[in-house]
Amino acid sequence: MTNESYENVILELRRGVIVLAVLSQLDKEQYGYSLINSLKDHGLEIDQGTLYPLLRRLESQGLLQSNWRIEADRPRRYYMLSKEGRTLLPRLKDEWTGIVSMMEKML
Amino acid sequence: MRMSINLIDTYVSEIGRHLPKKTRADIEAEIRSILQDMLDERCQKTGKPVDEEMTLDVLKTYGAPEIVASTYVGERYLIGPRLYPVFITVLRIALMVIGILAAMGLGVAVYQTTLSPLNTFDTIIKAITNFGVSVITVLGNIVLIFAILEWALYRAGTKVDLKGLPKEKGWDPRSLAKVSSPNQIKIGETTLEIVGCFAAIVIFNFYPQIFGLGNLAGEVWYVGFGSGTIFPLLSQAFFYYIPYLTLVWALTIILDIVLLRIGRWAIITRIFSIGLKVVNILIAVAMLAGPSLIAVTAPTVTTVFGDAQGASLLINLLTDGLRILLWISIISGSIDIIRTIYRTVTGSKRILPA
Repeated sequence: MTNESYENVILELRRGVIVLAVLSQLDKEQYGYSLINSLKDHGLEIDQGTLYPLLRRLESQGLLQSNWRIEADRPRRYYMLSKEGRTLLPRLKDEWTGIVSMMEKML
Repeated sequence: MRMSINLIDTYVSEIGRHLPKKTRADIEAEIRSILQDMLDERCQKTGKPVDEEMTLDVLKTYGAPEIVASTYVGERYLIGPRLYPVFITVLRIALMVIGILAAMGLGVAVYQTTLSPLNTFDTIIKAITNFGVSVITVLGNIVLIFAILEWALYRAGTKVDLKGLPKEKGWDPRSLAKVSSPNQIKIGETTLEIVGCFAAIVIFNFYPQIFGLGNLAGEVWYVGFGSGTIFPLLSQAFFYYIPYLTLVWALTIILDIVLLRIGRWAIITRIFSIGLKVVNILIAVAMLAGPSLIAVTAPTVTTVFGDAQGASLLINLLTDGLRILLWISIISGSIDIIRTIYRTVTGSKRILPA
């Protein structure tokens, strides 16, 4: 496997967990840049071009809610789990645990 | 600082140019806010104030405006995956028809041209050129029609690529049996009908005199269409029916779009379809019973081309040909109505639980 193929597979693997990772960090409200840093602190580096459209998509799906707030003389958009998102997150976590357990047995 | 703000403004505005109007302002505001956050972080890390170099670096890191915009917009198609196979089928059929017509036209033209190598070569070159122009025109029109259809389906919310997990889970293999069911619509046939009706509306309403008699190289006369024709072929009596036919074609397009959207026949759409076919038959009967639909007469053609026998034969062929076409339309329409009624009955039986 070439380096490029390896990186593509890794990218695919990571892409699969981004939604869960993002939702897991938004039980308290965060603006986009702080969310990127929060994910980075946990070891998940996510491209901005991936994150912001994803946040908008999750919001349009009703899993997140957002509001604009003026801070230090400039507006910032804060994202947070919606009611639906809060209901869904524990189910997603269970699903994730199941996947990990299954893969551990498989590998 | 001022320079940095100008750079950000230009950058954000460039991204905005590639975004839909509806969400543009919101996304622009968000990107502006993100860029400010990135600059703030760099200031803190380096201990320097924001300058042009730092701003340029941040913008470079954030990405080219077109690429940033594309991440918000998602994939868009001129002709999407749902319509593409049908588009290719229609295109193949259209190209085949043009090819056959061009070959026939070339055969007739070469046969009627005075046999000399130069004339034959000239005729062949003209035919190839006409074929090329026809292919480009037809290709352009088909792409345009499918693009409009794609846009309409997109607006109607029937994007194929949104097959979510719940739908996959809820999929019933027994639905495969419905493929051969009389209620299953034929996508290719339906799309072809839309294209045909659209073409008919455009041709007969905007280019009514496109069909006519023309002469080739001042010697050979022919029945065809295009700017080279001299006498309009169809009479005023024919154009009297155009508003009614246009209405039927437009309603057929609407019906077909509805069918493509819901994917199967229902009793109401069958009844509507029968209604349209009945109106079509009535128009055909009225055309048969009414005044001649052919405008040119044998004496007119003879005056110009001087071939009385040929002219008379041609006019008879045209008149009888049109009558035969109308009869075929009436008979096939009647058969279609009977078949539709049969399918309505059998279709409604099949969907009832056993």
